[in-house]
Amino acid sequence: MTDGYVQQPGSSKDVRVDGKRVAGKMSFNPPGSGGSRPEMAERDLDFIPEVEGGREAQPAGHHLHDKYRTGTTVGKRTPLVDGNAKVTGQAWYGDDVRLANEIIGRIVRSPHHYAKVKSIDTSKAEALPGVLAVSTGADAPQRFGVLPVTKDEHAMAVEKVRHVGDLVACVAAIDEATAREAAALIEVEYEVLDAVHDPKKGLLDVDDPIHWRGQYHIGSTNVQKRVFQEFGDRSKLEQARATHHGKWKFMGVNHGFTEPHAVVAHWDPNGRLQLYTPQQVPHYAHRALATVLDVPMHQVNVIRTFVGGGFGGKSDPFPHEMCAAILARKAGRPVRITFDREEVFWVNRGRHPSHIEVQLFADDDARISGFEIDALIDGGGFASFGHVTSYYNGVLATAPYELGSFHYTGARVWTNKPASGAMRGHGAVNTRCAIEVGMDDLAEKLQVDPIDLRLANLLPPHSKTITGFRITSNGMRQALERVREGSDWDSKFRQLPLGKGIGIGCGFFISGSGLPIHWDPNKFPHATVHIQIDMDGGVTVHTGAADIGQGSTTAVAQVVAEVLALPLEMIHVRSHESDTSPVDLGSYSSRVTFMNANAAITAALDVREQLLDAASEILDVPAKLLILNDRRIYNKKDPAVGTSYLQALHKSQEDKGALIASGAYRTPPMGGVHKGAAAGLAPAYSFSAYVAEVEVDVDTGLIKCTDVWAAHDCGKALNPLAVEGQIIGSCHMGLGQVLSEQMVYGRTGHLQNPNLLDYKIPSVHEMPNVTPIIIESCDPEGPFGAKEAGEGPLLPILPAVVNAVYDAIGIRVNDLPLTPDKVWAAISKKMKREDIADAQDLPVPRIDFSELQAKIAKRSTEHNDRDGRRQRSEDTDPYINGVLFGFDPSIPPEDQDGDWKISVRPDSGQLESLGLAGSAWTKIEQRKMEDGK
Amino acid sequence: MVGEEHVSMIPIAPNNVWRAKVNGRAQEILAPSNAILLDVLRDKVGCLGVKRGCDMGTCGCCAVLIDGEPRLSCLTMANECVGSDIISVEGLSNGAHLAPIQQCFAECGGSQCGFCTPGFLISSQALLDKNSNPTDSEIATAIEGNLCRCTGYQQIIQSIQSAAAIHRGDESPAKPASDAHSDPHPSGPE
Ligand code: FES
Ligand code: FES
Repeated sequence: MTDGYVQQPGSSKDVRVDGKRVAGKMSFNPPGSGGSRPEMAERDLDFIPEVEGGREAQPAGHHLHDKYRTGTTVGKRTPLVDGNAKVTGQAWYGDDVRLANEIIGRIVRSPHHYAKVKSIDTSKAEALPGVLAVSTGADAPQRFGVLPVTKDEHAMAVEKVRHVGDLVACVAAIDEATAREAAALIEVEYEVLDAVHDPKKGLLDVDDPIHWRGQYHIGSTNVQKRVFQEFGDRSKLEQARATHHGKWKFMGVNHGFTEPHAVVAHWDPNGRLQLYTPQQVPHYAHRALATVLDVPMHQVNVIRTFVGGGFGGKSDPFPHEMCAAILARKAGRPVRITFDREEVFWVNRGRHPSHIEVQLFADDDARISGFEIDALIDGGGFASFGHVTSYYNGVLATAPYELGSFHYTGARVWTNKPASGAMRGHGAVNTRCAIEVGMDDLAEKLQVDPIDLRLANLLPPHSKTITGFRITSNGMRQALERVREGSDWDSKFRQLPLGKGIGIGCGFFISGSGLPIHWDPNKFPHATVHIQIDMDGGVTVHTGAADIGQGSTTAVAQVVAEVLALPLEMIHVRSHESDTSPVDLGSYSSRVTFMNANAAITAALDVREQLLDAASEILDVPAKLLILNDRRIYNKKDPAVGTSYLQALHKSQEDKGALIASGAYRTPPMGGVHKGAAAGLAPAYSFSAYVAEVEVDVDTGLIKCTDVWAAHDCGKALNPLAVEGQIIGSCHMGLGQVLSEQMVYGRTGHLQNPNLLDYKIPSVHEMPNVTPIIIESCDPEGPFGAKEAGEGPLLPILPAVVNAVYDAIGIRVNDLPLTPDKVWAAISKKMKREDIADAQDLPVPRIDFSELQAKIAKRSTEHNDRDGRRQRSEDTDPYINGVLFGFDPSIPPEDQDGDWKISVRPDSGQLESLGLAGSAWTKIEQRKMEDGK
Repeated sequence: MVGEEHVSMIPIAPNNVWRAKVNGRAQEILAPSNAILLDVLRDKVGCLGVKRGCDMGTCGCCAVLIDGEPRLSCLTMANECVGSDIISVEGLSNGAHLAPIQQCFAECGGSQCGFCTPGFLISSQALLDKNSNPTDSEIATAIEGNLCRCTGYQQIIQSIQSAAAIHRGDESPAKPASDAHSDPHPSGPE
């Protein structure tokens, strides 16, 4: 046992015991330093897993990280650590960065959809007093783009403009009025070209494609990317007992974040660029800036400001960021560019407008014998994330159901619209809606309950999808059961009166993308976190995770606090600057909690070990007997024997000063070998099921969603408050897409509603009452079991609402958003067809269960046992999609059955029968033209 | 535009002295007579907590209290409020302590990205000043002009309800399980 440890001066109150002053002289009470609690808190056993002697139930089994749980913060409703900055108005967003001597930049944008830029005359602008810099595309000839395979953007037009609002030139002046004036003085001569607006026309050969990809160009079309995938045995589809055929149209959707883009660029006195921008992925911007400005990456410091909402819309490197840097370099002064709301719509990167056709098949046993999907997606003027989107539209439909076959054809085409890109639920949302509505229709045709149909066809935990995705934890079953119970489904479905309806929808999404697109995942990690603790005991955590409001900073702070058993206020996360944060891919594809928190845990464990070693030396107790708790380390067997955190820290610092540790995360090897196998591959997947209740006014077609029961499997809720916030927020955003939001392009191809008045985001009055239900499936590789909760929860709300509308009025409208005019048109069409005079007399769908209902109920009970055992790891045998169809679970079906196909190119016999998007495969790539192949 | 006569767009409004009280402090500022209040607050007074989300009255991020009434500063001429008492988000807190509404937004998930938060705080403070016992639908009416893209409003309504409880004096705010202190300067039990 050691001598008493002297506290930092001033850290405790003046306390007297028996007339003697004892404060500051007690051996370990109050322990450590920092924090606002005067006494050490007891271990919170409610938040320590049962297996570690606590009281936290573990229905989904134990986790690797259980032994590092200290009951400090994980699982507790934790306010965001940067919340106070936000509620006091001190959070600094893009336009809040004000540097001394700043000047204001403006961008000159194209008024044409598609045109050659013949000449630009900047002389009048340059002559205007107060103008300090003018720049055009000639100043920045280097291409960039978010994906290394499709770098097709320039800072400003080099040769052509590709959509209204495309960047042509930029100016910087002493104030905004002068900058606007100068922008208007720039004279551009255009030669207008034939624009493509309809994505279907993008499939055709044209004289002047929007981009030219040389030998990789597909014919001379505007097809940017095409995908073909065929898995399983499609020969059985003919014998299907029920089929569904859905032809869908989805309008483009904008992220609608409240903060318009803004950027401040400043070349510091040493000639380094300091760029302030609200970016989700500062690292991509960093790379692109270095390329375009032709400076080494280490001469650029990207400073991520607070981000006023991202949702995927702030993840591309943007041309206006380059413009600000170019102007600032020319003018020798800091340049600030802030967008109008209209400009936000010109850069867009929102959800792709799409034409999606799906066919679903169910056999005599109500098994899903096949999904056939054809997706034509309208990419707008640039590639952006389009390569990935083209895959996601298909491959993210391969779970949660076990499939007999899967066939996907997809094509993304360039059109002369603002570019589409990544938006919350990237690529998965539209297809998921079509598929889940199809499931509902299959259930109707099989005369079974749609929830039971789903329950009887789920892939179990620890399984492989038909395309080879590795599913680990899987809470789909619980999610379905919980929403069924919560919504009182069994007494409402097909029993509500006309105008009231209830519907179900499911979701499946990646938790982090398996492939870091700029490097080999075996050679550099996905995420790295550094921890540094100096004498004062405060813990500084460096991470590149970009907090865009989802609370990534809080999540990283939480896991470090949990491992080190320190109060949250002792953890300081530094994540704003690329100079200090390790390289990180930022906030997209729902990777942050999974990857950064894992990296942070690894780093914290290193620190923990150093602290325990030091404590063990001080106390002469073996490290494995020591327990960390709230700034104190003590002997498990004799809690009176202990030392304070600070004392152990100082001991471990004796020879090296500050404690420093680094942790990294890298995905395990996984996935198939076919072309495109990496798309959609993730270390974990989230699952969700929603039930929505709606009211439809049959006389006007107005839909009101009244209640939503939203169950989401996030593995483990590190912070239930934030998870619920994500679920409700996702509901809001998805509800916008299904009921009111659309980017409307008029007959001449102009975007008609680039503002928040005509682009209709649901207000508080349109919001239903959402009951968030958190499902914890405890992911074996997630940090403390956690998976994503940011994007997946958006998927199910769309089909749940569409299905509920059918339940209410017996009509399916396959054209989102379901605005009153469309719904009313469908109602009156049906009235005409069926000769109904009063809309109040519309028939309401009812159901009589067939013999299959009992059969699938039995199957789902059996599967329930199977899944429970697999979830708790009592059964760890391999399970490959196909078992339900009679295959050996351990051998891939293609090795068992000659008819089981895996193909990523259509063979010549198939070319005729491909759908709309599939027809892109009838074109020949330029490099294969000569040999006519 | 080629070859056309260019008409200058630089406004030539004369500068006036603009006088008003902002967050309790008298301001005397030289501003063009046609200046918009939002620009004056952000660029001249330095209230960067007042946000610009749309510039056309559709998002509510720019809301401030003018003589106790919530108003959209992007649609308000600075000249209209000469002599007024203006409160922005920076003026809500009580000295070093957070106002109940601020504390509750931070604790109950009322703020995610935070960009809409200043506007919501202003609208809700205006409501609570008049009615410390609002129903959910009264709250909805008070914040109907504010757009939030992150939270889906539900946790915002909860935040306002728990702030209302503090205003009524019946409860201390819903304490989250964790010990992170939302008020940076907690005033203690007294
Ligand atoms: S900026 Fe004033 S309402 Fe949007
Ligand atoms: S918190 Fe992001 S817009 Fe409301």
